Amino acid sequence: MIPSEALISKAKDRQFTRDPERAPTEDFHDILFDLEKEGEWEVQRVPEPYVEVETKYGRKKKIPLQHTWHHKSCGQCGHIPGYSTSIFWINRKLGFDYIDPTDQTSCTAWNYYASATSNAAAQAAVAMRNFAAAAETSYFPIIHCGTSFGHYKETRQQLIHSPELRRQVRDILKRLGKKFVIPEEIVHYSEWVHAVRDRIAEHQTRNMSMIRATVHPACHYHKLIAEDAVYDPEIYGAQRSAIITGTLKAIGVEVADYSTWFDCCGFGFRHILVSRDFSRSFATMRKIEVMKEEANPDVTVTHDTGCVTTLDQSQFAAQAHNRNVGVPVMSDSQIAALAMGAHPYKVLQLHWHSTDNKPFLQKVGIDTDKAWQEFEAAVEKLKSGEQQYLTWEDADA
Amino acid sequence: MPEQPILIIGGGPAGMEAARAIADLGYHAILVEKRNRLGGTPDEAGYAALTPDFRNAGEAMAEMAARIENNPFVNLKLNSTVTAASGSVGNFEVTIQNGQASEKINAGAVIIATGFQHFDPGRETQQYGYYEFDDVITLVDLEKMLRAHNVVRPSNGKPPERLCFIQCVGSRDRQIGNEYCSKVCCGIASKEAIEVRQQLPNCKVFIFYIDMRMYGYWENQIYWPAQEKYKVNYVKGIVTEVLKKGDRLLIRGEDTTMGRPMEIPMDIVVLSVGMEPSAGTCELAKIFGVQQNKYKFIETLGGALDTVTTSVEGVFACGAATGPADLEDSVSSAAAAAMKAIAAVRKHRPLE
Ligand SMILES: Cc1cc2nc3c(=O)[nH]c(=O)nc-3n(C[C@H](O)[C@H](O)[C@H](O)COP(=O)(O)OP(=O)(O)OC[C@H]3O[C@@H](n4cnc5c(N)ncnc54)[C@H](O)[C@@H]3O)c2cc1C
Ligand code: SF4
Repeated sequence: MIPSEALISKAKDRQFTRDPERAPTEDFHDILFDLEKEGEWEVQRVPEPYVEVETKYGRKKKIPLQHTWHHKSCGQCGHIPGYSTSIFWINRKLGFDYIDPTDQTSCTAWNYYASATSNAAAQAAVAMRNFAAAAETSYFPIIHCGTSFGHYKETRQQLIHSPELRRQVRDILKRLGKKFVIPEEIVHYSEWVHAVRDRIAEHQTRNMSMIRATVHPACHYHKLIAEDAVYDPEIYGAQRSAIITGTLKAIGVEVADYSTWFDCCGFGFRHILVSRDFSRSFATMRKIEVMKEEANPDVTVTHDTGCVTTLDQSQFAAQAHNRNVGVPVMSDSQIAALAMGAHPYKVLQLHWHSTDNKPFLQKVGIDTDKAWQEFEAAVEKLKSGEQQYLTWEDADA
Repeated sequence: MPEQPILIIGGGPAGMEAARAIADLGYHAILVEKRNRLGGTPDEAGYAALTPDFRNAGEAMAEMAARIENNPFVNLKLNSTVTAASGSVGNFEVTIQNGQASEKINAGAVIIATGFQHFDPGRETQQYGYYEFDDVITLVDLEKMLRAHNVVRPSNGKPPERLCFIQCVGSRDRQIGNEYCSKVCCGIASKEAIEVRQQLPNCKVFIFYIDMRMYGYWENQIYWPAQEKYKVNYVKGIVTEVLKKGDRLLIRGEDTTMGRPMEIPMDIVVLSVGMEPSAGTCELAKIFGVQQNKYKFIETLGGALDTVTTSVEGVFACGAATGPADLEDSVSSAAAAAMKAIAAVRKHRPLE
């Protein structure tokens, strides 16, 4: 009899080849530039120096290092302000030049994905207005929110394929006195974190090797226009998006797998709006409890506003029912900043998170009582009117 | 002046049949095949038995090859491919590359029979874990094991107690962009299910499907025997993901008949991967400038009434290069292409 090994390869020996030619859609870069040649719009180039990463089908995506314009998210600023602060803090530590803009509107993605939307032209106009605002500064837009990121990519697809939509949006922008300009790439902040992960590791001051983490990838990151998400052969054999996992590995965190990795965090747009209990049970029972049972992580790391909020802030309800929950949740920018020595409260602002993260911080070697006192002292200065806001120097003090 | 020969590219079932038909009619064919042997994908992938009659695939391909090997009307060029072409019907000038050597030949007409490739389940449906779990395999992998009479779990070499097929992997999927039905996988999965039950009577076999598509006689030849004689369980509802649970696999999906989610442990999960145009088909379409359809198969222009004429006069296509096809379809369209190619050459015979 032929031995079974000779007949069939093991998963690790199977040859997976990524071929850009076989992506389900045409390469949008070519079309962006063709349309630019035809005078349809301007394309804002990714500024040098950039890092080239590979997307799902092996196409290249340019991630700028510097000169970035940070498109934030409504949910993030309200629920997890430390998420963007951490991104800026990392930029500063790496000596990168960036802009924290004030000329930005909310994207309209929440309404869009909750089926409460206006029309395609209105939505595309909001996206293009924000891109124009970035281009005016000559800084390159980086999108913090997975929802905006997914929505902007869908909008790009619509604009590429509909001359009529382009005409409508161009007219709207003209009235706003804005240029019709589209960025060469739509970049999510976690792609930037991924691209600079080795530099983050070089600046690491805290040992993370005793930490075990699970990863939740945002659906809007890797399931919408999937051909534009970053994949790396080194990470899950290019079978799952490399974002977050690659960063955690670079800073020495052990990443543990669990069986509901592909599942949504529970947010689901309509659910969070009209059936919030469903979101809560999904987040805790399908994600957090499964992680606990199968991987027992110290922390779970994600990269989207909705995911951090839903996974973190749903746990209190489950806790009240004595369920097996209690996993701190944070974004990849927060844990990366922490590894580089950022203050857990002044920079990461972990006091905004509702699941107890002290045991995790203590495991990283942080004296949480002391850190809290430092934070309170800083807040005192604001209360007394001695200072109006905290500065970066305060954050590092 | 004798007619120019007809160039056939691809030595699979379609190309072999086209060459035979041309030779039988007393015309000359040049057959270019990039592998070192004839037989196409059934040979390369090592299919065991063929639908619908369980005929030995190796034997069947060898029989087709024997009809054209040593045939004075067929000039076989193995290990070769076409790299450039110019000219038009009646006189194409084609460059054939064989290793380092390249030669130019003239042909009156061209038949592209460069076939298909199996959908790669790691490219899109990553949730099925083909590149992560040893015991997730494809229809093609299972063919090899059936051929060797050694169906075992790749993870531990033991025979499976429960094995399932997931249909339409990479086909009928708007998300992926392959909206078409690959036509053969329902029949092949049912055929393999029967063979598994024959070889391992204690193994429970399940097929998860959207709807089973059996062509013509396959209904009676394979589908009913699979259920009635071999007790294969057909479950309507597509599987969404494959997970690892202990040393087994857990499939998760929806049973649409019962209207509820399901989770079932399995020892082997077989992905019924469908067909996509082969790299050769895409290359040749570019070299000859023939139109491809939105799935990149070669477009034929005659609708139902002419399945082999392409957008370039004198260039024909047949078999799985034009879209998903079983052997019957492939061989029939090959004969049609041979006939049309000869007609084209005769019509454009240069005046003496
Ligand atoms: C899993 C599976 C199982 C199947 N089992 C059955 C079955 O049991 N019964 C059945 O009826 N059908 C079956 N089929 C379908 C069957 O395989 C096809 O109908 C048949 O192979 C099509 O023949 P073809 O000659 O068109 O293409 P292919 O068999 O793909 O042959 C194409 C040939 O072209 C050559 N080629 C490609 N590119 C170039 C190039 N650039 N230059 C030169 N040569 C080139 C290739 O090497 C190959 O030899 C199965 C299909 C699948 C997916
Ligand atoms: S033949 Fe069956 S398995 Fe294959 S694509 Fe069609 S319906 Fe799906």
